[in-house]
Amino acid sequence: MVGHGDRRRHAVGGALVKRGMLAAAVRLFTVQGSWSYERLQGIGAAVAIEPLLRDLPGGVGGEAYRRAMGRAAKFFNTHPYLAGLALGAVAKAEHAGVDGEQIERLRSILKGPLGSVGDRLVWVGALPVASAIGVVLVALGHPLLGVLSFLGVFNTVHLGIRFWGLGTGWRLGMAVGRALSSPAFTAAMRYAGPSAALAVGFALPVAGVWLTAAFGLNDKIGVAAVVVVGAVFAKWLAPRLGAARFGLLAIVLALLGGAIWP
Amino acid sequence: MDTPMVAMLLAWGLVVGMDLVSVGQVMANRPLVAGSVAGLILGDPVSGMMVGVILELFALEVLPLGASRYPDYGLGAIAGAATASGSPGILGIGLGIGVALLVAWLGEVSMSAVRRFNSSDVRRRRERLDRGDVGTITRVHLRGLLRDAIRAVGLAAAALLLAQLARRWSPVDLETAVLVTIVAIGIALATAVHAAVRLSGGGRGVGWLATGIVAGTLWVVLL
Repeated sequence: MVGHGDRRRHAVGGALVKRGMLAAAVRLFTVQGSWSYERLQGIGAAVAIEPLLRDLPGGVGGEAYRRAMGRAAKFFNTHPYLAGLALGAVAKAEHAGVDGEQIERLRSILKGPLGSVGDRLVWVGALPVASAIGVVLVALGHPLLGVLSFLGVFNTVHLGIRFWGLGTGWRLGMAVGRALSSPAFTAAMRYAGPSAALAVGFALPVAGVWLTAAFGLNDKIGVAAVVVVGAVFAKWLAPRLGAARFGLLAIVLALLGGAIWP
Repeated sequence: MDTPMVAMLLAWGLVVGMDLVSVGQVMANRPLVAGSVAGLILGDPVSGMMVGVILELFALEVLPLGASRYPDYGLGAIAGAATASGSPGILGIGLGIGVALLVAWLGEVSMSAVRRFNSSDVRRRRERLDRGDVGTITRVHLRGLLRDAIRAVGLAAAALLLAQLARRWSPVDLETAVLVTIVAIGIALATAVHAAVRLSGGGRGVGWLATGIVAGTLWVVLL
């Protein structure tokens, strides 16, 4: 049974946490701002969660607040867009008075799955799909629409994940794992890769035709030959060198070839 | 390039460079966006877009996982647009992509340097951080952001300087310019194919990729 005093304290705490939510959500945009090999996102995570910890017993500077901040600043790394899910859950656990070791275990357990889900949904799914849409629209003669569509499609997913994550983490606390096993997540994970492959596959010939529109037939055949030879070499060289250095190497060779060829 | 243009490009470089990792990650750093806006600032939106699209194909390989290092294609796109702008037709595109890829690589190296400085900062203040000293935590974070801001503006300035050098003292004749552009476009498409195969995850995913390529080819042939 909740007494009158308890209800009032909860209401006050709730209001403070609600204010802290917005500040935490904004700070989460810089969660990787002090990325280091020592603690990875740890310092950024502590800065982001801090507004949610201000109303711990004893207030700012109190023992509970300092201990929670010390834990928050330790080694932490996950997908930056889903960091809010972990941090919301950790903040809720701190407010619920969960043992410090259990909270550290929660942070540790969440890192891997959140990273894996985020990588699959965002880097393997949403980003290549949005990129392909943008490239196709630019190539079809709608440059402004292409750039805006790319940003719009990607950031709808991006911002949705960020704000949903922080709120859901706070709501579920120690039971945050439930959020990751929802059918929506499972379906999105399953279709992320195929959607990206389909979209990028469609964009490749469209972009190729647009980029070579100013060339004559011989030059177009030249581009096709470079694509074939490049794709063969990319299989071995791109993973070792990275695409940027691989491309740079090819361009330097072309410059040398142009200079030497009579 | 006049002074207001340089100032605008440096400001855009700051936004683009910090968006890569430190602030936002709203994808202002993607070359499609960075190159297009740089082209608008330079008064040559077509070159900016072409550089942006070609580098976007290169950038499909980037999977920014955990502690991985990856090129700064956004600042590269600004460098590429600055190199290619004003050239007749697509003659400046190949050289622009060359300068862009060099800057993107320098971006990758500079990001590692920033992370090393951040690590040293964290190591020096380990005890206070572990005690939960909020002042120390905040200052370490702000210094990390400042380092990345310096990296972004510094690299944007270096990018503009390299672009000017490439435009002024380029040893490239007409035939070489065409050859370099052919190679740049071809390699971009090749790396995009490689990245798409990786994204597809093999197996049935390759089938989706093939379906996409067939659909895209039919689109450009029939429409």
